[in-house]
Amino acid sequence: MTDGRTLVGSFVCTDRDNNIILGSCTEHLRPDEDGREEEPRVLGLAMIPGRHIISICIDEASQPPQPPSSMYT
Amino acid sequence: MAASGADLVLEKKDFTPTISTMPPRPEVTYNWVNITSDFFHATKDLELGELLHDDVFGLFEAMSAIEMMDPKMDAGMMCNRGKKVLNFDQAVKAGALKLNNLTMEELVGIMDSMFACLVTWLEGHSAAQTILTCLYLHKPLSIEDRALRAFSIQTLKLIAIINNIVHSAGVFEEEDFQPALYGYSVCSEVTEVRAGGMMREVEEELQRAVKASRNRQGEPWDTKMQKQHEDAVALFSRIRFMRLFYAALAALMRREQTSISESERYLASCTELVCIMQNTIGRGLKPKHHKDEEGNKVDYPVIMGFEPLVNQRLLPPTFPRYTRLRTRKEAMHYLEEMVGRLRHITKITHCTGFHSALEFIENFSETRPCVLSRSLAQVLYLGGGDKLWGGQTMAEALREAARGFICPPALLPKAPVMNNVQAKEYVSSFFNRCVRPFEQLIQTCGHNRARQRDKVAHLLEEFAMLQDEADKVDAYLHNVLLKSDQPRPHLAYLGTWVLYHTLRLMIKYLLTGFTLELYAVHEYHYVYWYLYEFVYVWLVSALSRADAMLLEQDGYDTNKGKSGRSSKNKNRNKKKHRPYGKEITYYQALQHLCGGYYKAMVGLREAGKVKLPIQEFDNEQVRYEHRFLPFSVVMTPPPVHYDQFLSMTDLSNFPQPVSPATLYHDARNHFFKARTLLDTIHAPSNEVQQLLKVVKTNFVVMKLLEGGHKADDPTRPQFDFMNHPCFPIIKI
Repeated sequence: MTDGRTLVGSFVCTDRDNNIILGSCTEHLRPDEDGREEEPRVLGLAMIPGRHIISICIDEASQPPQPPSSMYT
Repeated sequence: MAASGADLVLEKKDFTPTISTMPPRPEVTYNWVNITSDFFHATKDLELGELLHDDVFGLFEAMSAIEMMDPKMDAGMMCNRGKKVLNFDQAVKAGALKLNNLTMEELVGIMDSMFACLVTWLEGHSAAQTILTCLYLHKPLSIEDRALRAFSIQTLKLIAIINNIVHSAGVFEEEDFQPALYGYSVCSEVTEVRAGGMMREVEEELQRAVKASRNRQGEPWDTKMQKQHEDAVALFSRIRFMRLFYAALAALMRREQTSISESERYLASCTELVCIMQNTIGRGLKPKHHKDEEGNKVDYPVIMGFEPLVNQRLLPPTFPRYTRLRTRKEAMHYLEEMVGRLRHITKITHCTGFHSALEFIENFSETRPCVLSRSLAQVLYLGGGDKLWGGQTMAEALREAARGFICPPALLPKAPVMNNVQAKEYVSSFFNRCVRPFEQLIQTCGHNRARQRDKVAHLLEEFAMLQDEADKVDAYLHNVLLKSDQPRPHLAYLGTWVLYHTLRLMIKYLLTGFTLELYAVHEYHYVYWYLYEFVYVWLVSALSRADAMLLEQDGYDTNKGKSGRSSKNKNRNKKKHRPYGKEITYYQALQHLCGGYYKAMVGLREAGKVKLPIQEFDNEQVRYEHRFLPFSVVMTPPPVHYDQFLSMTDLSNFPQPVSPATLYHDARNHFFKARTLLDTIHAPSNEVQQLLKVVKTNFVVMKLLEGGHKADDPTRPQFDFMNHPCFPIIKI
């Protein structure tokens, strides 16, 4: 996100403006200068407005076969 | 937005979650692949408003999703502004947290801030945003200063015992108290005894310092010495207060006669100590407003050792909550009153019998006490659920209460009917059956006042079933007794006792509707009517029966085997005053008071002075049935249906012609009757005095209205509940 936080969760929904809803979401802060990481915070269901998204990554290895609603058209 | 170099780092790095809150799983490695540009490109194919979603998605659930980057919903944003949040270790390392060489000013200031946090927590706020923002409580054993270390450990013990008390009593709701401690330890390495000992050591040292720096007669008091003295007094009072307060709570929890007197002594000392603490608030370091990077004032002022955001990430994912801490002055005042409340509840140990304990708790509830004191009252009387205060079981206490109330022949000592095994068993199992509902009755009065009405509604169901059982047992005992050597009736003894409690619950339910301001003015007439026409009538009748039964039993007792002196005894009986005389008069007065309101409201309605709901949107039957819904499960007294209400209150029942004036006249008579009855009550309580005031004023108002005063004035009457929360003064 634009403030440096990273959210990890299961993709649930999106729309044209790239607003995304993630399920079972956890929030991770930017690691310290020393490289230490804060404990992640459990959020549950979270919605991220598209305009605040810097980047999106998916976990390729553990991803189950996508249902027809996959974005990889 | 193309993937930047920084984000590619995520791809290659192993991401190993270590969240303690998540279920334990083996170390997971992720293989992050950046899809940002593909994603943004793909979503352009969606129409405006079109959603791409998983099968499990539902819009309803999505409503509760936390919206990120919105300050109103995203609690994580707070940590990102400005000042870095330091935990215990970080603060020590940065030199922001002193563990030693604290000045007296700092010590007193820190302790006062801790009291403020404690009080704020006790008022219902989350511990994470109050008392647990004090870093000293996170690692108290690392503190080197002896006073602060002892105080911190004692505070943790106090938090633990308070949690225990409130939890055991089980009379709190989420708005009263938040027990969560977010995994923080309460220093179990140090026992309670040792903690108390540590406090004592510091206390004694300070006591010596106080004596040493005292003003000596004939000698001038050095200003430096004076300051030392006053600082020592300030610190001493705080340490001692904390130690004795904890000790008082611990003693009360032991529920022994000796420990009660012990706790009374401690609490008496606490009252004195709070006074000293209040006078010495000024000696403490004052909290300062820190400014963040943008130069804006952070939420509230802090003092060394307190970090408001330290637990932010532990809080459950809801909207951000800002806890305003109590000021030191407010906190001290709260502690003063709290100690007062605790001293009051020790008196419950003087109550003889269930009914007096119930009355004590009901009266205490009316003072709107804090969650800790009401919880402690419950624990003190009910205990863990096994033995009541005084050593009886609840079943035994209830048996005694029923016997004291109406003297059922079967409960008399050496009652012959008890030789019948089946009868004995029925009676015994009846009282066992009574335990749960009566326990809940005590607990209902321990809840906060706003929640009691709902609980009462549920309780009515339990009591309705109990009524049924009581009637059955009475009937059985009646049959047995009639066939015995000394035939006696046994009808409606146990039944009347249960009925008495049921009726009181019904009254409580209806009257608390006024305290909670639930009824609209256009509903007053049927609420007061139900009380006037039914509930109070039944209650007076039940008490009269109990009265008569008690006197009859007295007659039996004195007549038994004393036939020679029977005439003398009969005379003595006549002079004895009725055991329930005062209560009966009181309820009769309230019955007439309700009658007065009922007639007054009907009169005002007829005169067009009551705002009625628009016909299109209103159904009086629905409203009526809703208001009396919990009574539908009660068999005795039977619920009064709406049709019955209509036919009984039809104006054609009244002597014709009916006009507002005749109704005001009736109301006036009722108020007068109520007043006459209340006047006969000897040594009137506060409530009775207030009722007299209400009744006299309303009498005058009715007289004025009857005389045509303001007949053409369209101004609606006001109802002033200042004198009594359920019975207003009518103001025209």
